[in-house]
Amino acid sequence: MSTLLSLTGVSKTFADKVAVAPTDLTIEEGSFVSIVGPSGCGKSTLFNLVAGLLAPDAGSIALNGESIIGSTGHVGYMLQKDLLVPWRTVRDNIMMVAHLTRRVRIEDRDQAEVLANRYGLGEFLDHYPQALSGGMRQRVAFMRTLVTPHPLLLLDEPFGALDAQTRLDMQRWLLEVWKESGRTVLFITHDVDESIFLSDRVIVMSPRPGRIVADFTNPLPRPRNFDSLTTMEFVALKAQIMKLLYGESHE
Amino acid sequence: MNKVLRNLGIPILSIVLLLLTWQAIVVGFHVDSFIAPRPLAAIASITGNWSTLWPLLLGTIRETVYGFFCGAILGISLGVVMAKVRFIQKLIYPLLVLSQAVPIIALATPLVLIFGLTIRPIIIVVAWIVFFPVTVSIVDGLSHVDPDLLNLAKVYGAGKFRTFWQIEVPASVSPLFSGLKIGATYAVTGAIIGELASSTGSNLAEFQQHANANFNTAAVYGSTILMTIVGISWFLLVVACEIWATPWLRRSTARRRRLRLRQAVAKR
Ligand SMILES: Nc1ncnc2c1ncn2[C@@H]1O[C@H](COP(=O)(O)OP(=O)(O)O)[C@@H](O)[C@H]1O
Ligand SMILES: [Mg+2]
Repeated sequence: MSTLLSLTGVSKTFADKVAVAPTDLTIEEGSFVSIVGPSGCGKSTLFNLVAGLLAPDAGSIALNGESIIGSTGHVGYMLQKDLLVPWRTVRDNIMMVAHLTRRVRIEDRDQAEVLANRYGLGEFLDHYPQALSGGMRQRVAFMRTLVTPHPLLLLDEPFGALDAQTRLDMQRWLLEVWKESGRTVLFITHDVDESIFLSDRVIVMSPRPGRIVADFTNPLPRPRNFDSLTTMEFVALKAQIMKLLYGESHE
Repeated sequence: MNKVLRNLGIPILSIVLLLLTWQAIVVGFHVDSFIAPRPLAAIASITGNWSTLWPLLLGTIRETVYGFFCGAILGISLGVVMAKVRFIQKLIYPLLVLSQAVPIIALATPLVLIFGLTIRPIIIVVAWIVFFPVTVSIVDGLSHVDPDLLNLAKVYGAGKFRTFWQIEVPASVSPLFSGLKIGATYAVTGAIIGELASSTGSNLAEFQQHANANFNTAAVYGSTILMTIVGISWFLLVVACEIWATPWLRRSTARRRRLRLRQAVAKR
């Protein structure tokens, strides 16, 4: 597997607060990598650096070997807030990036329809987002991310606002879509179970200053299902991550 | 059907109640008809003088509508510039407040001196009243667009121009209409103040003053009713435009015609 994204010595300071201490990170093409850590440890800042919303104070960020420092338009990006616009239908929300960047073509519509049909939202194409449930809205938001041609998708706590049941459904759905799409996913979450269930690697970050403290390769075999959540490998990895996040357990 | 009945029936009922209260007070307290006429007498004075009133009414409508559009266009342009350029916002805001602190009646007379006995000073008075709430609502709307949404657009490399038309403008439609609705209700007030100041001898405000001088109280009330109807109708028209322009607030799916139009545009 080849390297898709590489960060070398990347750091970012706000005023006198170190949000991200010098950080190295390499992401393999086609992999699913999760980042866990308490809030305020610089996860979103790391994403904003890669997305080009922020420029690092030092270090280099390369996508496919080319520097993308401070430049946008290279990655797919999705937040906990679905950011669907209420005045556009599901179809047009899926095509939002096309609307925002160039003239819309008939292929954009077709692509949006194919995606929505394949993932069970075909009958809602002409609906406004406000008529949809939270889970459905996040699906639409993810499709909006997926129709962009970018190989790297940055998902910042995309399921953070969903209820437990919907979240499980969305996780399985995401794995299915990820496998079919062949994209590379960087996934922020504060849910350790979610990070293990989904990813090939789990990166643990720690605050003050924001930095990577561990990088676990997930031994859990694919395909994964609910039984994966109770295997020895799962529990062992979860224990290691929990210890890093919350310290030794108080017995 | 039930919904239509509720949306139309209740406002009509409240107007009927108002008229009945008026009737009850005038009859109950034995109010002299030249102090306050009965509702039917006021309405009869309108129908009786219709050939005189109709051209005057048309004039008032024209002033209201022209003034409203001038004010709306001015308000929108000013609002967009102010929201986009911080420096201009700081520069203009004090003047904006100042403009509304000037008593509008005190402004109408000098305007008539400048522009003469034409429709122009009246339109300016109306526009003066209308532009303020429009500007304020546009500035408010544009500066409260979700910053995360703007960041999303930026991440995908959207240009300023497309971000403006695709996100900032549609996000400001609802706030804009709040301003337009306030402007629409006050527009006719501006028109009447302008008419009083311009005193051309043939407008609704002066008709009312004339009726007042002749102790024709029914006609005084009748012209007030007409002015009010102009205000309400214009407000309702703006509300209708709002409903048309923001279907997503009321409907769960897009209108068919709109979809087909989009499809045709995309095919081309
Ligand atoms: N634009 C900014 N300006 C100032 N401080 C910021 C900004 N963005 C983030 N921070 C600070 O940097 C730290 C890391 O924030 P963030 O990356 O959002 O954390 P996380 O996503 O892990 O919760 C926090 O202490 C936050 O207050
Ligand atoms: Mg965050």
